[in-house]
Amino acid sequence: MTDERSAPSGAVLVVGGGISGLTAALEAAEVGQDVFLVEKNPSLGGRVAQLNQYFPKLCPPSCGLEINYQRIKNNRKIRVHTMTEVKSVSGGPGNYQVTLTVNPRYVNSNCTCCNACVDACQDEVDNPFNFGMDKVKAIRKPHEHAFPARYVLDKDACSSASLDAIVGACKYDAVELDMQAKEITVDVASIIWATGWNPYDPNNLENLKFNSSQAIISNMMMERLASVNGPTGGKILRPGDNAEPASFAFVQCAGSRDENHLEYCSYICCMASMKQINYIRAQYPEAPITVFYIDLRTPGKYEKFREKLMADENITWIKGKVADIVAENDGSVTLIAEDAVTGNKAQAKVDLAVLATGMQPAISDQAKALGLTTDDNNFVVSQEEGMISAGCAKKASDVVTCAQSATAAAMKAIQASRR
Amino acid sequence: MSEGMKVQPDLEFIKYLKNAGGDTLKKCYQCATCSVVCPLSGDDKPFPRKEMIWSQWGLKEKLVADPDVMLCHQCGDCTTNCPRGAKPGDVLGAIRAYAYTHYGFPQGLAKLCSQGKNLPIMILIPTLIIGIVWWLSGGMKLPDGDINFGYFFGDAYYVLPVTTLLIQLIFVPTLLFAIYAFYRGISNMWKGMAAQLPATERNFRPSVTQFISEFIWPSVKEIMTHKRFNECGTNRNRVTGHMPLVFAFIALLAVTAYAMIRKDVFGLFIEGLHVPLTFADPFKILANVAGIALIVGVGILWVNRSRTERENNTTPTFYDWYPIGIVMAVGVTGMAAQIFRLGDVAVMAYLLYFMHLVSVFMLFLYTPYTKLAHMFYRTFAMAFEKYRASGYVQKQD
Repeated sequence: MTDERSAPSGAVLVVGGGISGLTAALEAAEVGQDVFLVEKNPSLGGRVAQLNQYFPKLCPPSCGLEINYQRIKNNRKIRVHTMTEVKSVSGGPGNYQVTLTVNPRYVNSNCTCCNACVDACQDEVDNPFNFGMDKVKAIRKPHEHAFPARYVLDKDACSSASLDAIVGACKYDAVELDMQAKEITVDVASIIWATGWNPYDPNNLENLKFNSSQAIISNMMMERLASVNGPTGGKILRPGDNAEPASFAFVQCAGSRDENHLEYCSYICCMASMKQINYIRAQYPEAPITVFYIDLRTPGKYEKFREKLMADENITWIKGKVADIVAENDGSVTLIAEDAVTGNKAQAKVDLAVLATGMQPAISDQAKALGLTTDDNNFVVSQEEGMISAGCAKKASDVVTCAQSATAAAMKAIQASRR
Repeated sequence: MSEGMKVQPDLEFIKYLKNAGGDTLKKCYQCATCSVVCPLSGDDKPFPRKEMIWSQWGLKEKLVADPDVMLCHQCGDCTTNCPRGAKPGDVLGAIRAYAYTHYGFPQGLAKLCSQGKNLPIMILIPTLIIGIVWWLSGGMKLPDGDINFGYFFGDAYYVLPVTTLLIQLIFVPTLLFAIYAFYRGISNMWKGMAAQLPATERNFRPSVTQFISEFIWPSVKEIMTHKRFNECGTNRNRVTGHMPLVFAFIALLAVTAYAMIRKDVFGLFIEGLHVPLTFADPFKILANVAGIALIVGVGILWVNRSRTERENNTTPTFYDWYPIGIVMAVGVTGMAAQIFRLGDVAVMAYLLYFMHLVSVFMLFLYTPYTKLAHMFYRTFAMAFEKYRASGYVQKQD
């Protein structure tokens, strides 16, 4: 017999600490469910943390994420494990045994973010948070708004001298160089897979020659360039030479709706490019911008957003997919498409070209091994009761849709736990 | 297009295209990747994006009069890069197949050659014609003495010279008929293409000499050097098969003409000429080299086509396989007849020679309506492309 007012019986495991995982974990915990929230990266926030602004209200990510972090801090039902991945799942709905691997951070909870270790560290790595557009020290806070606020050490990138200096600099005994990966097992009633997405690798797009010029960037790189905590302090400059671009272009459907790459429409890229045009307009009010597209998709209530941009006389909209990019000697690039409206080839020589790449499910090959059902594109299908997918693990979505799908997933998880 | 156009789709035409290898055409969503990756397409009104939407709309009249359809060499770059698997290259191939039937004269024969199920009839026609003539001539028996294909239609050479001319009476009119069919088809295509040009005043017409020297000859030079083929990306390896084939064709045409004149024209009057050429004869050497080149060339094309069909999972079509089959048949039967003649196996030698005549007859008669027709249609489309860009069409200030 089920007593709906009795204490919840089974815990919920939420895999992924991005906007979907955070939402699902909080929704479940705030009705009294025990929640394990695991995140493979050193801090929570996922892809949203990397954005400059996000829809629907074009808030900076700190806006929505800070509130969620506060809710987590104030909720004793949620246990957060960062740098943690799911190794294996056994059991069935209502009774899963999940083995988790906790990777070594080499920094313990004594860390106060005093930054002494960073000053002592001599080794630098490409900053993964900024897609390698700048360098960071091998020991660092993952990014400015990282939560949990604790440093992480890339031990393999350090010389032994550097490691000694780091340990010596920390007066809180927070650096533990002998930290080992460990396994923990949790018993949960249901699992929410909020494993999110990765930007599609533009190197796969052979004809767009991503590597041929630094004037070709991806849309996520543009988010970092426009962010105040990005590599350029929020000034949109061309990577490499830090030149102020005089002209811009957007390449829509770069690898999306393409059987050779991502077969599906990633849903967010049209609006993301339009949002990024606003970033450009704020810094370069007159710069010519060319947008190459197949179709422009403005889902939901964003039609006005498009209309406003289309009234801008310095923006050219060309119906035709860019199929060739030529790197020029002056650092610019020439984009080539056929304008399907005029029937002639259209070329645009610009100082910065943004590839609007799509979303690829992050879980990919691992899904099968964990007993998950995926569709042809590696999106996780919620099939058995107790294995629930949410957010961009389920389908390419914007933040609003992710929050809705995460809340729905929390509801299903609670149901599975109380049965 | 801004003034709007009324689209009247030819549904039969769309169905035809889908059956003839363009079954993926409806997948196209007009992203225009194809027009940019195409190595043969220019900056002004590139192809094949526009052809894809015309096909979806069933605009038959526009497509059969579109030189770009003929200029396509089916490199396959568009198909490789197509994000939708719409295979524009195959669609254009299907349009060409349609156009050869559309322009074919007479229509009955053209339609006969458009479908694989008619192949038995296509084989039966020359088999009957040559077989009946063979039977009536009294040559259908194993003659005594050395094997000499010159006496195929009877050995009564000195009694009735006409029997040796029978072969000429069959093949020369067939060839002339095919040439006339080409003339009809190509002039109709040219008229159609010219009608699509912007309605401006033509400055002046080129003379025949100008036409040949300025448009046809440069096109032929491009074809011989395989200039455009070499620009192809995906299917580049076809050149290794196509080039020997082209030169073998030309060489065999030359030696056949030479042999005909020597043996069956002068041979009538000069004794001793109506015998097989010796192996040391330069023409015989050329013939054998070309024969081998023909078989090797078409063999390479055969292998390539099988492989691409397997890799791309495309359905084989009669249109694509007929030319490979017929050229292979001509080459193999010709070479085998010679081998059996030298081996003195009379039955096989005469039988294979008969088969050789049948396949050559097919090659002559059906070329204007099958994929082989590209040798003239594409040449003239290339000439048209040059004509279109020349001062004869472009308005001069």
